[in-house]
Amino acid sequence: MVFFLDITDASRGAALLTLVRDFWPLWATAALGCAGIYGLLPQARTSKPIWAGFGVAAAILLAGLWFVRQDGVWPEQVLFYAFSFLAVVGGILMLAQSNPVHAALSFALVVLNVCGLFLLLAAPFLMAATLIIYAGAIVVTFLFVIMLAQQAGLASADARSREPFLASLAGFVLLGALWCALDKTYNLTPVLRELDLVASAKSLDEVAKLWSEPAAKPGARTLPALDRLKNALPRELEYDVPELEKAWAKQDLPALTKAAARLRDQAAKLKLGALKPRDRDAPVEAPVTAQNVAGLGRTLFTRYLVPVELAGVLLLVATIGAIAIAGRRGEGLR
Amino acid sequence: MSPVNLQSYLIVGAALFVLGMVGFLTRRNLILMFLSAEMMLQGVALNLVAFSRYHGNLGGQVLTLFIVTVAACEAAIALALILMLYRRRKSLDVSLWQELREPELEPIVDEAPLPPAPLPEPMPHLTVAGPEPMHPAEETSHV
Repeated sequence: MVFFLDITDASRGAALLTLVRDFWPLWATAALGCAGIYGLLPQARTSKPIWAGFGVAAAILLAGLWFVRQDGVWPEQVLFYAFSFLAVVGGILMLAQSNPVHAALSFALVVLNVCGLFLLLAAPFLMAATLIIYAGAIVVTFLFVIMLAQQAGLASADARSREPFLASLAGFVLLGALWCALDKTYNLTPVLRELDLVASAKSLDEVAKLWSEPAAKPGARTLPALDRLKNALPRELEYDVPELEKAWAKQDLPALTKAAARLRDQAAKLKLGALKPRDRDAPVEAPVTAQNVAGLGRTLFTRYLVPVELAGVLLLVATIGAIAIAGRRGEGLR
Repeated sequence: MSPVNLQSYLIVGAALFVLGMVGFLTRRNLILMFLSAEMMLQGVALNLVAFSRYHGNLGGQVLTLFIVTVAACEAAIALALILMLYRRRKSLDVSLWQELREPELEPIVDEAPLPPAPLPEPMPHLTVAGPEPMHPAEETSHV
């Protein structure tokens, strides 16, 4: 048995364990969702997979409640939740349907809801383009499914899956890793809590216990915990960490708490990942929202002119290729 | 300030990408594998458009437009290839093409038998309601 992940190196294994321990709610939600998907995938079974459906629903709810950040209730937020919920549910239905026609319809649901998300992201042209192109592509695909798959009734291959367990495991690892990276980048809550503890510390020993690493003895000039803090903070705040370091090196408690409190306030004020506000009067190069079509057209035909031409050539080549591959008569379809 | 943050869109995009990947790995219908790949592209496109809005820069939307273009080319070629494969084997099952893999790999055999398909529901038997109307013995002339 060969494991793909080499954890013979002890430090690498420890890093992996830390990652799992620090972000266990994310991993647990991803595991619940992927276990549910494993149960829902078409397989030879006798009863309907009701519990797997409940598992997937619970995972979607948990992910929506815990990981999607929100500031208050807005119509945009309601729309975001509705569109993203329907998109993910459509994706899961596409995996779970054994009838290919129903699966193609579920994919249409995914595309429609992603188009809704595009609209929320102030990309109306892209929404229209995706809708038109994918609607055309899906209708053609749909005709193919009906023409090919329905000629001999439902095939037994559609009622089975290839390696469902390994595929769900791969999905779990990828989903957990992606969510971990996102949470590590955009979630400041653990950092804020740590800074809060430092800011309210009564003595240096308390701080040393908080940063309880061997090097945290009073008098040590640098700390691994401070490096970790610097990595966790966004780049806008990195320049304030040296103040904290200097205060620790001097073992100056008032300066330390003051620096930590200042850093905490700044980090709390920073709206990390906040999308740009609608700006109707901004010049064309800057805004996405106002004058979307005009700005997109200008960008396409000035800065990206060569790629546009190349895309045109690519479309031509693909059309000729498709005709050359599929256009042979004589053998007939049947 | 928009109430929905960048990371929310990225989380949804990641979920769509993973769903597409699992679908591509598990489904055995050629057309559904193709649709799963398209779903992965949808997740990526969502990421790009979200970053485009976050940076206030149209580059992400332009790149998404190119993704849609390449996806259209891919759809044309993929459907033509699927049609070719269907002509050879008269089936969309991708496992019929497993001799294309490395020779030392064991072939996949469907082991578990499928449950028997449910019997079609019998047609409802409608009882005659009311007395049978009188039939005219022969068509009378309309003239």
